Order: sequence, then structure tokens, then C-alpha cells
Amino acid sequence: MLEINDLIFRWPGQTDATLNIPKLEVAAGERVFLHGPSGSGKSTLLGLLSGVNKPESGSIRLLGKDLAQLSDAARDKFRADHIGTIFQNFNLLPYLSPIENVTLGCHFSRSRTERVKASGNTLTQQGEQLLQQLGLDPSIMARSVAQLSIGQQQRVAAARAFIGQPELIIADEPTSALDADNRNAFIELLFKEASQYGATILFVSHDSSLAAMFDKYLSLSDINEVVQCS
Amino acid sequence: MQLITLATKSMFNRKASVLLTLFTIAISVMLLLTIERVRQEAKSSFSNTVSGTDLIVGARSGDIQLLLSSVFRIGHANNSVSWDSYQDIKSQRGVSWAIPISLGDSHKGHAVLGTDSAYFEHFRYGKKQNLAFAAGRAFVNAQEVVLGSEVASKMHYQLGQQIVISHGMGNTSFHHHDDNPMTIVGILAPTGTPVDKTVHVPLAAIEAMHSQPKSASRMIGKPKQSAAHSHSDTDEHDQNHTDEHGHNDSHDHEHANEHKHNDGHDHDHADEHGHNHSHDHDHSDEHDHGHDKPDTVAVTVPAPAHLHGDLIGEPKQITAFLMGLDSPLYTLQTRRNINNYKAEPLLAIMPGVTLRELWRMLGLVEKILLLFSGVVVLISLLGMLTTLLATLNQRRRELAILRSVGARPRHIFTLMSSEAILITAAGCALGIALFYALIALAQGTLQSQFGISLSISLLSHYELMLIGVIMAAGTLMGILPATRAYFYSLSDGMSIKL
Repeated sequence: MLEINDLIFRWPGQTDATLNIPKLEVAAGERVFLHGPSGSGKSTLLGLLSGVNKPESGSIRLLGKDLAQLSDAARDKFRADHIGTIFQNFNLLPYLSPIENVTLGCHFSRSRTERVKASGNTLTQQGEQLLQQLGLDPSIMARSVAQLSIGQQQRVAAARAFIGQPELIIADEPTSALDADNRNAFIELLFKEASQYGATILFVSHDSSLAAMFDKYLSLSDINEVVQCS
Repeated sequence: MQLITLATKSMFNRKASVLLTLFTIAISVMLLLTIERVRQEAKSSFSNTVSGTDLIVGARSGDIQLLLSSVFRIGHANNSVSWDSYQDIKSQRGVSWAIPISLGDSHKGHAVLGTDSAYFEHFRYGKKQNLAFAAGRAFVNAQEVVLGSEVASKMHYQLGQQIVISHGMGNTSFHHHDDNPMTIVGILAPTGTPVDKTVHVPLAAIEAMHSQPKSASRMIGKPKQSAAHSHSDTDEHDQNHTDEHGHNDSHDHEHANEHKHNDGHDHDHADEHGHNHSHDHDHSDEHDHGHDKPDTVAVTVPAPAHLHGDLIGEPKQITAFLMGLDSPLYTLQTRRNINNYKAEPLLAIMPGVTLRELWRMLGLVEKILLLFSGVVVLISLLGMLTTLLATLNQRRRELAILRSVGARPRHIFTLMSSEAILITAAGCALGIALFYALIALAQGTLQSQFGISLSISLLSHYELMLIGVIMAAGTLMGILPATRAYFYSLSDGMSIKL
């Protein structure tokens, strides 16, 4: 599923490499907890995985494709088709309805749209279904995003990540704004949704207490050979 | 969801700043279009005031002064052309027609123009259009008056109504020729030229107006009213008259002569005018009619058949005359001849040439106006640029979210630039709407105050081109924030930096 070999990444204009990962492997369907305190190069790694940035050397094989070999446009397309993302918070576009936020990614990815269509649903139906599966009452769908609670917003963001069944879900601190009960419930929902079609989850957090719920625990400070200043 | 929909929704989310920007652009577009439309219409109504006239002849003054006084009724022609010279030039070879014009009087602020029937036959405006009657007919005797369309509509005059023409310009003439009411027999169709604001009377009526009340009223057969006039009134009248016209001869004497001439004139011209009955008889008919029906009551205009009277009288002088030649090839030669006319100093101008000359003088003003409105548009577009750039930083999260769901940098670029295009387009659309609203509002004032007829017509090619230039400029402006957003989205990626 995901295989990183001898990855070196340096931000333009910097002499020291930010990332130096000799080896990282994630199997398909695995639920991985990546522990990354701030300053550990976490954002950089996520940028590389999602294809926004390009490694200086080494390879990132995702679903059998080496992202380092793809053009900028091809990496963008690859991300749109195969990766769903959930951010820390403020995930949603405030001017779109919850449903529109959920289906947003499908407008940039034909293959995800087609996968939705293959299930016999329209985008909106699929979005509503996902929101329901994630425990959101249909009544909130008519509401403005700004009127939703943080927890509700995160579930809308999760629905957006899952729509069109992308193989990899990257969740970047999605629970840091939630309290402990909601945190666990949210992660359970992610797992439930991912298990429906065997998606891989890469869950990034600085909060190691959550690690127990996952199949695999990785620490960025262990796998990254660059000496961190913090 | 298309990017445009996304852009629209995003803009709606920031409607306060977007609407302000949009209004700025709309107002500037309205300003530009209005100024340009007024400029164009002014120019065309300007050059449409007179056409088909080869030469305008007046006393020697400036070209433009003669044009202004004879065509636009602006300013006074201080000197005049003697009737003899007019007759002489008119009879010269190659002259097809001539229209005498006598100006200087007014009716409630409207210029009074004394002329003869040639006016209705030969005067052309616009694209060589003849004057047309909206109602009634041309005058056929000295007690009849034909109104320009605007005079009629503004004063609510109707056919058959009697009006009094005063002497001198302006609303408050010191004395009115109360003894000389004239019947409205015709109302001209609108022309969009000073003709609309003109009261047309026969030359003979001008003459009658300026003569002593006694003789005047006798001439038009109204002894009753003349008797009512006191002697002092008469004196005063004479005095004014003498001053204004610089007559040195005694008025009484002159008019007595005139009157005699008048009678004789009728007989002399009997054939020419095709009159079969005596002049006096005509007038008594007319007089009775006038007294039976007082002012303001509209009556039907009497059929002209038996009312034909003398239109010209025996004028000493006229203000100017318009001439048409048999062939335009004669124009320069005729003009030279008139300018070298021996009997009195005359000036002949070619109206087209002088109109252009006059417009060129106004050209600087019009260019400055255009420049200003152009700058206003530029400022409004720069305002949009400022707003877009200022909000861009706050929108980096929005851009990052879009990136994370798969938007390519070029999508971000399109999104940002389409926003500028949408704002500019909406601004233009609103500006055009405001422009039409403004025209609809200002139409009346412009027509009555400046004689510029603004038509609520579709945008001309030129105006569409202006809109096109604004759209292009707006699009170009949009490229700057779009490019910045493009590079933000490249460097920020999906990480959200706040």
C-alpha cells in the first residue's frame, strides 16, 4: 500500500534536510497511528504523502505508484482520486452546505465520482448516506456549516474524506478539538467507515494515548533520522 | 459543482466587500457610459441641427457667431442683412432656394423666428429630413404661428389657440404685444434640434410686432384694442423700439410708409401668391374668428383655402438667410461672391464646416471628460484589485482545503481570476442598468435644457467596446491575485498556516 524508501526532503533554501526516512511500510487496510509532535516534520511528511510536495531523493510508493516519478499535475490527480483528508479543525468551506462540503472532492476526481455512481447513488444521496452513517441527523444538512458544533463539523469532514472510497485516509490531528468521549467515538466511526471497503487509515497525532486503538504505532521521531531541534 | 458556482458562493460569503467593489465598478461604468452617450448624442444632435443647407448668410461677424445665432438661437446677431441684399442674392443664378430668418423676439422664453413658407419647404435637419407637421399646417398669413414640438408640449398649446408674441428675448419682456395675438395653426413633429424650441411666425408678423401699435393693429384689422392703448404706451413702445433697433428715422413716419407699401405690396404680389381676394377681407375674417374664441380654448384650425395672406410684408432687414444651391459645386464660388458683396458687408458660412469647427472647440472639454471617466473606471478596478489581494491572505485556509480535496493549482488560479471577472461583469451589468436609469431620469432635463435628445437605445458598438475594454482590464486585474493564490497553493500545499 504505502512504501517509503530512503526519502530525503529539504525545503527550498534550507541546508538541512527536514525529513530523512530510510524505510516506512504500511499495508492495505491497516490502521496506523503516527505519533508526531509539532516540529517533527509531520506536516512535511503529509505533504509528501499527498503529493503536494516532491521528495528530493528516494521513493514514495503509494498503491504501487512512485509519487516521486509523477508530474505535479499527476500527483494532484492521484491525491484527488486516492486520498481522503481530514484536518485538525476548520475543515469545511463556510459558504457551502454540509452536503456540498462532503461532495466537494468528487468535483475534482472523476474516479471517485464514478465509484459513487457505481453504488447507484447520486453524489448528494451518497453524501447524505455517509453523514447518517457517521451519526449526523439529516436535519443538520440544511444548516449552515457555521452552525454546526466542532464534533459535527469533524464528522462532515470525515464524510468528505470517505466519499468515493479513496484507498488512503489521512487524518491530521482530527480529534484535538474534541473532548475525550467524542474523540474515541470519532475514531470508532472512522474505523467503522474504513472497514466497509478496506481503506487504510493514517492517523497523525501528538496524543499517544489514542495509539492503543490502532493496529500499528509509528513514531515520526523514530523513523525520521534527521535530528530534531526540539 | 463547477468552479464558477464555487467562486460565486465564495464571493457571496464575503458579500460586504464584494458588493462594495461591485458598486464602485458599477458607478464608474455608469459614469463612463453616460458621459460617452451624452457626448455622442450631443455631437450628433449638434451636427444634425441643420443639413442640406449649402450656405448661411448673415451680417459680417464671426463664422461661429453666425452659426450660433442663426441655427442654435444662441446669442444675438448684432447686425442684419438688408432685405434688398437678400432679394438680390436670392435671385442670382445657381441659387435654388433661400430661407429668410428674422430672430430676436421671444415667446415665454422660446425664440421666435420670422420666416416665410420656404422654411417649411426647404429647411432640412438630421439626415436631410424635411420638417414634418405633428398637427396642423404651415402658416399662410401674418396672424398664424407654427410651433416647434417642444414649445407646444411644454406650454400645453393646442391648435387654434391664440398666443401673444413679445418683443425682445427672455421671459420678462418689458412690453408685450398684447394687441397682436396669433393663432396656432401648426405644430411640428419633434426634430431634436433647436427647431423644437422655436416659435415660427411669418416675417410680416415680426414686422407688425415691431411697428407702432396703432398701425400694427390697423394692419391686422383690430381697431378695438388699439383704441384702448394710451398715448404714453405708444410713446414708450416707440422709444424702446428705436433704441433696440437703432432706427434713426421717426417711427411713425416709417410705419406709415410701410403700411402704404403693404397695400401696394399685396397688389403687386397678388399673382405671385396666388391670392384672389383682397387682403383686408382676409384679415377681417381672421379677426372675427379670433375674438369669438378667446385664448386657451382650442378650436379647429380654419382651412387655409381662403385665408392666404401676405407672409413677408415689407421687411427692411432680416437676421440671416439659409441658402440651397443648384449644385454643391457652386458653394465655394457663391460664398466668395457673398463675402465680397459690394452693397453691404456680408458673411456666408458653410454650416457643415462651421459645425465641425465649433465641435472641435468643444473637443478639449469632451476629451477631458472622457479621460476623467476613464480614470474613475481604472480607480474602481484598482479598488477591486486591492480588495482581492487583501482578502487573499484570509482565504489561504479556503485554498488549502480545496487543495486537499484535489483542486489543482490551476483550479485555484481559475477560481481566483473568475472572481475578478464575475465582479467586473456584475459591475458592468449593474452599471449598464444604472446608466439606463440615469438616462431615463435625465432625458427630459437634457432635452429641455441643452437640446440633447438621449434615446434609450441599445448599446452602440462603441459602448460595447468600452464595456469590453473594462472587462478585459478587470480580467487582467484578476490575474494578479490569482497568480499569488496559485503560488500560495503551491507552497502551502495542504498545510494550513494561519
